[in-house]
Amino acid sequence: MSVPEQSLITDEHRAHVGRKSDPLTVVIKEEDARRMRDVLGDTDPRYADGTGIAPPYVVAGMGGGPRRGMPQVLPGGLLTQQEWKFTRPFKIGEELQAVSQVYDIRDRLGGRYGYSVLVTQGTDYYDAKGEHVASAMITITQFDPKSQRKGDE
Amino acid sequence: MTQRYYEDVNIGDETEPLERVPTTDMAIDFFGRDNPTNPAFSDIEAGKRLGVGGALVPGLLKLSWLTQYVSDWAGPGAAVRNLRAAYRRPDVADRPLVMAGHVVDKRIEDDKPIVELEVVTLADGQPSTRASVQVQLPSRG
Repeated sequence: MSVPEQSLITDEHRAHVGRKSDPLTVVIKEEDARRMRDVLGDTDPRYADGTGIAPPYVVAGMGGGPRRGMPQVLPGGLLTQQEWKFTRPFKIGEELQAVSQVYDIRDRLGGRYGYSVLVTQGTDYYDAKGEHVASAMITITQFDPKSQRKGDE
Repeated sequence: MTQRYYEDVNIGDETEPLERVPTTDMAIDFFGRDNPTNPAFSDIEAGKRLGVGGALVPGLLKLSWLTQYVSDWAGPGAAVRNLRAAYRRPDVADRPLVMAGHVVDKRIEDDKPIVELEVVTLADGQPSTRASVQVQLPSRG
């Protein structure tokens, strides 16, 4: 795909910006925390079985994450930026409410794809008292793989 | 795991480099084999179609490693508060990644002792991920 003459971002895509999702319940499971610790080789005793505390990076595998409901303008996508914030540690077994929203969607000219679209979306996680526990924000660069410059493969 | 205290950390302090080799199995196991993930994490051809040149290393795996890296550096009485990462180049599975970093700031923020580090994953000596990490350290005071 060559560089389009006008933005491929439609009003329908833009309508996602600022619109919060319905809350989705996610549960922090011991087996997920253990599996992720094992893959990373994390032996930190704070997060060992039985402590009731999950390592912060379990947010990487939590359902209801930032890609939920993300508008798709172009077929390919690469994660290009990410932010995690932790207000307090995750507790094994606790239920959290995940609320996502698109923060920004914009065109980008140049780079290896000529034209791409950057979508920034975030999810906040709240506990049963409605208090903030963590947030995860991502920027996905969407592109058409067929438009990649030769020599960049 | 050694505990670091706010007073003992100086701007410019470097973290000990640490090498990891991400594999396609790690990429799948990290998210769980029953959970859907990007096919490019395990399929070399799918990665090539994305222009990566092989199976893609998940950014979430790299950020998790960096979280663990800084958490281990800081010690058991510390807490990682914030990570902000830019993925500058895709990484390909089975190629070593070296994590490294240094302290760029320390400050008291809302009565909490915060140290900020810049950490990177290096592939062939070139940064593929750059992250700014804020960690709350205990104080001797």
